[in-house]
Amino acid sequence: MAGIKKLRNIAPALILVVLVIGSWELISIYTGIPAYILPAPSAIVRALVNNFGLLLYHSGYTFAAVLPGLGLAIIISPLLALLMDRFTFLKKALYPLLVVSQAVPIFAVAPLILIWFGVGLLPKMLIVTLVCFFPLTINLVEGFSQVDPEAIELMQTMRANRLLIARSVHLPYTLPYFFSGLKIAATYSVLGAIIGEWLAAKAGLGIFMLRAMHSFRTADLFAAIIVVVFLSLALFKLVELAGRLAMPWQRVEIEHPER
Amino acid sequence: MVLRQKNKTASVIVIVLMLLGGFLAGGCAEPETEQLESVTLLLDWTPNTNFSGIYSAMERGYYQEEGLEVELVQAPGSVIQMVGANRAAFGFSFQEEVTFARLAEIPVVSIAAVIQHNSSGFISLKERDIETPINFEGKSYGGWGSPVEEATIRALMENYGADFSRVEMVTTGEADQLISIEREADFAWIFYGWTGIEAELKGMDVNFIELRSEDPALDYYTPVIISSETMVDTNPDLVRRFMRATAKGYHFAITNPEEAARILLEAVPELNPDLVIASQLWLADRYQAEAETWGLQKLETWENYGKWLFEQGLIEEMPELEKAFTNAFLD
Repeated sequence: MAGIKKLRNIAPALILVVLVIGSWELISIYTGIPAYILPAPSAIVRALVNNFGLLLYHSGYTFAAVLPGLGLAIIISPLLALLMDRFTFLKKALYPLLVVSQAVPIFAVAPLILIWFGVGLLPKMLIVTLVCFFPLTINLVEGFSQVDPEAIELMQTMRANRLLIARSVHLPYTLPYFFSGLKIAATYSVLGAIIGEWLAAKAGLGIFMLRAMHSFRTADLFAAIIVVVFLSLALFKLVELAGRLAMPWQRVEIEHPER
Repeated sequence: MVLRQKNKTASVIVIVLMLLGGFLAGGCAEPETEQLESVTLLLDWTPNTNFSGIYSAMERGYYQEEGLEVELVQAPGSVIQMVGANRAAFGFSFQEEVTFARLAEIPVVSIAAVIQHNSSGFISLKERDIETPINFEGKSYGGWGSPVEEATIRALMENYGADFSRVEMVTTGEADQLISIEREADFAWIFYGWTGIEAELKGMDVNFIELRSEDPALDYYTPVIISSETMVDTNPDLVRRFMRATAKGYHFAITNPEEAARILLEAVPELNPDLVIASQLWLADRYQAEAETWGLQKLETWENYGKWLFEQGLIEEMPELEKAFTNAFLD
């Protein structure tokens, strides 16, 4: 039963994708659009297969920036959000700066980033952190502000210590916010690493894309895009799974949405 | 239960030992590579046949012979600053960029002209009838929208008494130029050795106006290999060793274009083999051209273009061009 229902849920998207790809293929066959303008889906699949090893190699470099970058954001954001929640002046001081940090066009300051942090893994990792810690922190600050003060008071009257309050009130209140922030961060993270690689790198999916572009190999470029989308989706799903494991009480709601 | 615990502990120990072993093995292997000095060379674009000499020198062990290990990093748009700030020892740039950088007091020095003559120019579809710069009138140019592009087109047109104000400037940026001259614009500024060759391979019917045959002042060096004043002054030995191997690499690419193309393709399999081979054959006798040896730069070339930039009002003063380049590291 559940399987059929699941299928019914994804069917519309699936049909649309098949239709779009099918007509795209037909259009490329019958109109003869040159492959360097719009490669046929079949050509992209072929590019994906032919470059599989190479794409895997470059993905490794990209992930070497994505994972520590995202990890750093996961460490920094809760600390920052916690501080901002505890000290209102910090919140007032930092919030606008956080927004500013996202408005800085990375390409414009690229030479500076490279001069400060070199051409190794570090600048890419930091760019990933920069794009990831924003949605995480903003969501967490929001989450902390939603914590029910009465629940805390109740705990205090019951002489619960800070740790217990944090675990049984703050954590369940903020975890959903943390995970929804993390989902956004995870989807951005791969893109962040690619931007970093465009600035300077010896390998990575961003480098693969630049090379495909400059060799006029549009199908290869699309193949790389597919890999990027796939990796971003995989990270997203991973976060979703982690969220389900960390918040078993939410699972009940998800599995029985009609109730 | 106890047994299981033991097993767990044992497996942890095994893993730790394996990791340690790995580190130790890595540590033992080190002395061999230790003697190699690591230098970073920044590429200003995707690897292409302009860089073939480097890839040849790496593959054939020329750098190793000089005790060097070269690390290539693709860093478009940041080479000058990185080399100037000594975050990388060497990089690829071009005469115009070095001239502007020196005026901005970024201490970079050009140490070799990779190709003796400027192979860039304006490409257009034959059907648009752009045979000389006079035909730019009433046409559109697709480029990056930089002042130098404007000045170059204007100057070329003025030689014919044509009116620059009748050219429409369109910013197409990183877009594929061979596509943009079919759509957004009528002509674009390309390097013949790469994009021009690609047009040939695609069987496009095109006109090409070579910059240097229009105006000798525009026969500037592009690309050049740069280093910083600090490197050149304080570590000339390293620069000399690097250049000795590099020159050897380019000489190899000159005499063995097919092999050089194969080496480049092996190192950068993302590239299009047909393009790399055709481009390499086209470039082979153009790296050195009529110069005595590969890489030589003439003060005249630096001055001509410097004066031209000055006359066009693109620079407010002439930089000390004797300091902008050196042939001291070419044997």
